[in-house]
Amino acid sequence: MKTLIIIREQDYEWLHHFFPDIHPLLVPICNKPFAEFLIDFSILAGSEALRFVMDGPLSDVERYCDNGNRWGIPVSYASIQSTDDLQTVIEKNQRFCSAERVLIINGFIFIHYDKQHNYKTLLASLPDGEILSCDSGSLSLRGSRSETQKVLENIPLSLIRLDVIDVYYRLCMEILNAASSPYVLPGYSNEAYCHIGRNVVISKRAEIRKPVIIGNNVQILADSIIGPNAVIDSNVIIDRESAVIDSIVLANTYIGEHLEVQNKIASGNILIEPESGISIAMDDPHLLTGINTSGSSKSLFQSIVHGLAALLLILLQLIPFLILWPILTLQGKWKKSTNSYYTAVSEKYLILTTTAIERTGPLSTLAAALSLDRFTLLFRVLIGQLAIIGSWPHVVTPSKITEHSSTESCCRAAVFSYAETEEWPVNIGDTAIVERYYAAHGNPMKDIALTLKALFNRIHETNTHP
Amino acid sequence: MIISENTFNNITVIALQGTLDARNAPQLKQFNSAGAAANSIVINLSEVDFLDSSGLGAIVSITRLKRSQGGDVILACMNDKVRNVFEITHVYKLFDIYDDVEAATLNAEKKQTSL
Amino acid sequence: MITVITLPAEIRFVRLASLAALQVAEIFIDSLNPSQSDPGFCDAFELSVSEAFTNSVRYAEHPEQDKTITISFSSENNKLTVSVSDTNSPFNPDTPSPDLSSYPENGYGLFLIRQLMDSLSYKREEGTNRISMTKQAYCSQNYNP
Repeated sequence: MKTLIIIREQDYEWLHHFFPDIHPLLVPICNKPFAEFLIDFSILAGSEALRFVMDGPLSDVERYCDNGNRWGIPVSYASIQSTDDLQTVIEKNQRFCSAERVLIINGFIFIHYDKQHNYKTLLASLPDGEILSCDSGSLSLRGSRSETQKVLENIPLSLIRLDVIDVYYRLCMEILNAASSPYVLPGYSNEAYCHIGRNVVISKRAEIRKPVIIGNNVQILADSIIGPNAVIDSNVIIDRESAVIDSIVLANTYIGEHLEVQNKIASGNILIEPESGISIAMDDPHLLTGINTSGSSKSLFQSIVHGLAALLLILLQLIPFLILWPILTLQGKWKKSTNSYYTAVSEKYLILTTTAIERTGPLSTLAAALSLDRFTLLFRVLIGQLAIIGSWPHVVTPSKITEHSSTESCCRAAVFSYAETEEWPVNIGDTAIVERYYAAHGNPMKDIALTLKALFNRIHETNTHP
Repeated sequence: MIISENTFNNITVIALQGTLDARNAPQLKQFNSAGAAANSIVINLSEVDFLDSSGLGAIVSITRLKRSQGGDVILACMNDKVRNVFEITHVYKLFDIYDDVEAATLNAEKKQTSL
Repeated sequence: MITVITLPAEIRFVRLASLAALQVAEIFIDSLNPSQSDPGFCDAFELSVSEAFTNSVRYAEHPEQDKTITISFSSENNKLTVSVSDTNSPFNPDTPSPDLSSYPENGYGLFLIRQLMDSLSYKREEGTNRISMTKQAYCSQNYNP
């Protein structure tokens, strides 16, 4: 058998309105993208191949599901026109649909199933035609079959139309509360009602109330309360004394201090009330609080501390720099590149020349270990254009200026980055979130300690540049 | 690029083979099908291993011409790499895309006779 | 890894350029852990170089002067950068995106590159236009544990 999944843009447009950055098929339901539930069901139903057919964009889904290798089922993709009826859709996928039985999932619907059931035998015994339907979609079978047909009265399946945000919210809560989950949830389950992912740091003073599901790379700080009924996706930080109760926090979200999130869905800087469907965009990116409260005296003190630290480093690096720089330049291992960068330190675009050292010999390895590639940048700290530690400056290309001015404004461009200090994985999303955390929590003294840590880490590092 | 022409179910099928980029796009644009101008054609893309925006432009261009003459261009059997270019540029919305040449010709014929 | 290829600024070499990009990207991916790589990574290089090379040829004003186009590749960690340089007149790379809803027949080149690559930069230096395109080999999106 094969499965054809037909989803139309007009049926999921509402969801796109709430989560504009996520393709509606990749919106997570209990930390697992919706598309994966469809794939799981197709496999349970005994499918040997699956095709997503849509009248809207498919590339994000394709990038995520790829050829289906991860699930062991070939996944393909096809486009249709929004005016095509079911018959036309099948004709357009004639080759896929021919010679075999096809299970057709038509509409933006969630299929309630239970992984314990043997859907393969069940579906094989059903006659062609519609199995189930709801107002906006259906499940049907099509194609030749040889076995004797018997009609079952009670099919252990039901459909739910995904049409408003409240349905989505309740669906997540329902799955979270299902004791032995009928679905395959992300593989980090270890305890009933409590799924926790990798690289999750939970403060001893934080309280976890079941049921909860927490994704990867999540930090939960002191005195925060998580649950009951909390769905927290990956790359999330829940700051001090905040609460997430009966709520969903989507990936890459920062919940600021003293924030109570109850009966809500938080995604980036958007807070949604599921029942009414009202969504509010917070002015602070990533629900970030406390970043703008630091007064000018603190920033002045900070610039002085950073300046002094830079001066000290300049003095320490001066002699090694003067010796190694000419040699490496001659060897061609001292590679310069000039780009425009944005920095919130002076709220300007800077033209910086950054250096990459090719680590191929003892001298260049030494130079890289001593962080000599950052030497010239230290002078920028003295004149207050960069911080000593913060975020790596963002390269600005003309087309990206507008995006950066809003979302990156909380990051201080710096010579060393917090991500380097923490040896955080090389991944844009993760690095950004850890830097946001420090942008909110850093203080001048901590900065010095972290700078030392960054310097120390770079000695062992094999990479020359973040 | 090799362009060959065939007829299936009274519909002209143009099979493209090879690379469809700036070097070969003019060849496709200038290709004169033996079929009547007002008739629909099916372009079989199964043997196209690479297509860029110049190739895409050529397909859009001949489609515009066909449509202005009362015919249509229907696409068949595009691989994922080719589909990706149609996808990013949103040009997929302009076409009826089939995964099978025969199904495409049957449909083109149906459309043609209903006109 | 640094690879430099110089080709005459003629459209018949466009496939050579895009195939070279595909090959370099494949070699680069092989040197990393291929199971984690972005599935469209190599195709993105093939297509982007095809677009950039076509643009360079299209804007080469005096073809009789035996102009050349240089394609160079460099890598850093898990990022691969390809630069396409020509000696044409300077141009403004910050062109607006084509109006997709009207399905134009051309003008997709830089738009496609921007969509496929992580970053695109343009530099004018000593009479040379240089378009650099960088892409990271790993997907940043990863829901799987």
